[in-house]
Amino acid sequence: MNNIEQIIKEAFEKIENADSVSIEAVRLEYLGKSGALTSILKSLSQYSIEEKKQIGARANRAKVLIEEAIEIKKEKLKKCALDERLAKEKQDFSSSFYFNFSKGSLHPVLQTIESIGAVFKSLGFDVAEGPEIETDRYNFEALNIASDHPARDTQDTFYLEGTNNLLRTHTSPGQIRVMEKQNPPVKVIVPGRVYRNEASDASHSSTFHQIEGLCVGGNITFADLKSVLTSFAHKFFGRDLNIRFRPSHFQFTEPSAEADMQCFFCKGKGCRVCKNSGWIETLGCGMVHPNVLKAVNYDPEKYSGYAFGIGVERIAMLKRGIDDIRLFYENDLRFLKQF
Amino acid sequence: MKVSYNWLKKFVDFDLSAWELAKMLTSIGVETSVISSPAAWSGVITAQVLDVQKHPNADKLSLCKVTDGQNQYSIVCGAKNIAAGQIVPLSKIGAVLPGNFEIKKSKIRGVESEGMICSESELGLKEKSDGIFVLPQDAPVGIPLEKVIGDDDFILEVEITTNRGDVLSHLGVAREICAKLKKTPVLPIIKTPNTASYSIAKVESNLCQRYIGCIISGVKVGPSPKWLADSLEKCAIRPINNIVDITNYVMLEFGQPLHAFDISKLSSKNVIVRTAQEGESITALDGRQYKLDDDMLVIADSSKAVAIAGVMGGEYSGIDNSTDTVFLESAVFNPSSIRKTSKKLNLSSDSSYRFERGIGWDITELASWRAANLITELAGGKIEVREDIAAAGYEKTDITLRIERVSKLLGYKIESDEIAEILRFLGIDLQPRGEVILCSIPSWRNDIKEEVDLIEEVARINGYDNIPTPAQQDHVVYTPSNSFFPKIAQSFRIKLSGMGFSEALNYSFSEISELDFFGLKYHYKIANPISKENETLRPSLLPALYKNVKLNVSQGAQSVALFEYGKIYADFGERKTFAVIMCGNVWREWWMWSEKKINPQYDFYFGGGIVKNILPCAEFEIAENLKPAPYFHPGKTACVIYRGKTVGQFGVLKPSVSQDVKNDVFYFEIDLENLQDWHSDANSLYKRYSKFPEVKRDVSVFADKSLPFVKIEKTIKGIMKSGGILSDYSLFSVYDDETKLGEGKISYSLRLSYRNAERTLTDEEVNKDMNDLIDKLDKEIGVKLRI
Repeated sequence: MNNIEQIIKEAFEKIENADSVSIEAVRLEYLGKSGALTSILKSLSQYSIEEKKQIGARANRAKVLIEEAIEIKKEKLKKCALDERLAKEKQDFSSSFYFNFSKGSLHPVLQTIESIGAVFKSLGFDVAEGPEIETDRYNFEALNIASDHPARDTQDTFYLEGTNNLLRTHTSPGQIRVMEKQNPPVKVIVPGRVYRNEASDASHSSTFHQIEGLCVGGNITFADLKSVLTSFAHKFFGRDLNIRFRPSHFQFTEPSAEADMQCFFCKGKGCRVCKNSGWIETLGCGMVHPNVLKAVNYDPEKYSGYAFGIGVERIAMLKRGIDDIRLFYENDLRFLKQF
Repeated sequence: MKVSYNWLKKFVDFDLSAWELAKMLTSIGVETSVISSPAAWSGVITAQVLDVQKHPNADKLSLCKVTDGQNQYSIVCGAKNIAAGQIVPLSKIGAVLPGNFEIKKSKIRGVESEGMICSESELGLKEKSDGIFVLPQDAPVGIPLEKVIGDDDFILEVEITTNRGDVLSHLGVAREICAKLKKTPVLPIIKTPNTASYSIAKVESNLCQRYIGCIISGVKVGPSPKWLADSLEKCAIRPINNIVDITNYVMLEFGQPLHAFDISKLSSKNVIVRTAQEGESITALDGRQYKLDDDMLVIADSSKAVAIAGVMGGEYSGIDNSTDTVFLESAVFNPSSIRKTSKKLNLSSDSSYRFERGIGWDITELASWRAANLITELAGGKIEVREDIAAAGYEKTDITLRIERVSKLLGYKIESDEIAEILRFLGIDLQPRGEVILCSIPSWRNDIKEEVDLIEEVARINGYDNIPTPAQQDHVVYTPSNSFFPKIAQSFRIKLSGMGFSEALNYSFSEISELDFFGLKYHYKIANPISKENETLRPSLLPALYKNVKLNVSQGAQSVALFEYGKIYADFGERKTFAVIMCGNVWREWWMWSEKKINPQYDFYFGGGIVKNILPCAEFEIAENLKPAPYFHPGKTACVIYRGKTVGQFGVLKPSVSQDVKNDVFYFEIDLENLQDWHSDANSLYKRYSKFPEVKRDVSVFADKSLPFVKIEKTIKGIMKSGGILSDYSLFSVYDDETKLGEGKISYSLRLSYRNAERTLTDEEVNKDMNDLIDKLDKEIGVKLRI
């Protein structure tokens, strides 16, 4: 009897110490054809029925126990072997990875147009576009800028040879084109390139982008203008920043205003970016001048509206701390890939 | 324009600091900032440095002996620029510097200092300064510093909008202050003595609307009194002599430019206001000669032009120390005429700046009298004769303001009393008539022309801050449908940026020489470019993108992959265009290059693969480029066809245009004008796919080298479309060893995939289908199986 207990004890010890090769030998030693337990079971015939029952039961139990122990050990050894292999396969995450396309990027100016556009779309503005090659009528006359008006001085214009056409100096001709095509109500933004014939420097570029906004309807007021631009400012720059409106002058709006954002770097405390004023000039706006409405055959007695214009590069420069507008058009990958 | 704070106070009594004033003016549309302030110190005197010795205990400090003329002081100083003999500002014990910093007796490194020698930044005169403030050598010693530099005034910088010429004077700014503070400006007392009134001027052109001439005899020309010279200098105008200074003073005071002639230098006792004669020219006060056109207004004597009206006086008719009799001019000239003249001559002055923006009719007379008064007062003499010619007459502007329109446009209610009060303090004559107010606009407000201008006045004086900002509510309900980018451009942008390409943005211009280089022609030329870069509008995105490649290669980039969406200016006008350029290694350098031996370049095949990848292939076909752009390598180019029309081209640039770059430069340009309506999901119904296993077969065929592979593809695609079991194919090997294949032959190895939607395929089925394909290739294009 004790012999069986002894066998179990021995077997467990051997299993414990076995490795993935010797485990099979252990199995054969106890459970194989000539294994210790097998031979006990084979020799049962020499015992009485009572003894047979007892020894048989105990030997079978021992067999099950040893089988289980071997299985468990085998699983354990498998897991160890896998762990060992994985440990050996360790690769260095700090060295560069296989897939080595360089990072792609979208241009910061167009990204800015998209994000400003998305805000205005959420405020119910549609998107329209107009040509860059314009006529004097669309760029100036219809916008209440007569040919001898000093306002033309501030917008040096590129003219095209052989025609009277010009490159638009602002996106405002888009207002006229939209209103000519449809009756009120109108609520659109017109993003696009504009041109000024002036020497370029860190803050001036012959080519830049604007987003024009226009809303005309039966009952549009200055309060609506303030409201829509305040919503834009909060959505685009942040809820915690204020916007203020200052009287200004544009030929095609009356009353006109300049909107300043509270500086988003210092939150209005005053810093280098806002030249210590706490405010940043952000956009020009106003109520559409009756002469502009008349130019597109809208009755200014029936309809009123507001318009605004945003300089895209300026916003992108402020937001990303870019100090030279020419960087946008140089296309050095070290610049582009930062966006 | 520079404005003196103290001078403003002569016109209106107000209780605002300079900074409060600047803020208030800015809030009503007159952008103002304080640019210089009076002394912000006390107890600082001028002193002379007698001696400079090294500090015994510190290398960087010196021991100085300074004097205020009576006592000597010993001062420890850290500035490098200190030297014996200098006149410097000295803060004695008890002096107070900006920031309430009091100077006390102190020991510095064991040596006592009886005060401090100051720098400009310590005095609050500059934000930063290097070393101590060295005063002029002739500055008196021992007097308060503020007597030597500056005085007790604030100087403001006022920026006006183009419509507000009336604000270009101290009176103009004062009127704005009055409007906001509801006060009335106080004008200086003007004496209008009786004078003779024979004719001294003749106006021959209607470009001069009013001309007041005045002859003052017996004047003594000399330097101006200090208050007058100081007033001009504060506003950045150089004092010259009392007569000229008075004309400038009155311009700064009332905004009316004046001109004074020495009558003895004119060939006649009277002047003529006329347009210039053909070929006439004049030497102006700046010493330069100007050729005049016949639409330019001049002031002339009987023989020649003596001044360019409203712009600049002539050199030989001005006031000098020998002048005895002055002809004083105060006039209203046509603003756009002055503007044109000034632009044409490229000559502008304080005078033309104001005339261009319009002069108030009444101000002209006021200024004429004021200057004459000051001349007789400060230079002596007597007003001999005065003539006032109102050549064009003046029509007062009358506007009817409907009270309900104010609230209707601004979006909030303002009481009619309040509206009336605002307008009254702007100097507007009012007659309230129930629902309307009849307004008579003062002559200097030429910007107020119609009702809406009055509404703006009400809004700005009442304050834009007082206009409510209601929660966003839509009077106009709209469903936005358009986007900034055409859908196809947006899909290119997203795909390419994901493949490591960067988006570029270039100017819309091209230089002609640059276009010649690429064999391109411009369709739009700029008539007035200020630089060569702006000569023409770009007919292709290539020249600029190629320049970008060159720049990046020169900066050491091994791989340049860019794309741009923008307009080109072609013979059909503006066209939305998309372009891709690439050059160099596809992948960045990495340590397994040598191990894996893969380092693909952006060549024709790789680039073409990218093009194929970004194009929604079902509708776009790549075909032989029959009309390649002049810059492509003729053997490495193809075109893109959309619904039967060529919309784009791609290829490798030919060596002669890409010589500056070592590697192949691949370029793709596609016209988007006809693809605007393209929609990624328009033609893509879901396709069922088979759940049964795929059978793959490899087959090699050989063909004439001259046969484009696309023809083989076409046959294969034809079979695929006909609904058979051929589901996919790929070209996995190309072999063109002519010694083995025969001259002009090429071999392609294709891997064909077969699937059936309902069941597993048998070998027989696949063999049959494959044989059909091989037969078809042979019959249609003479491509044979290679055994």
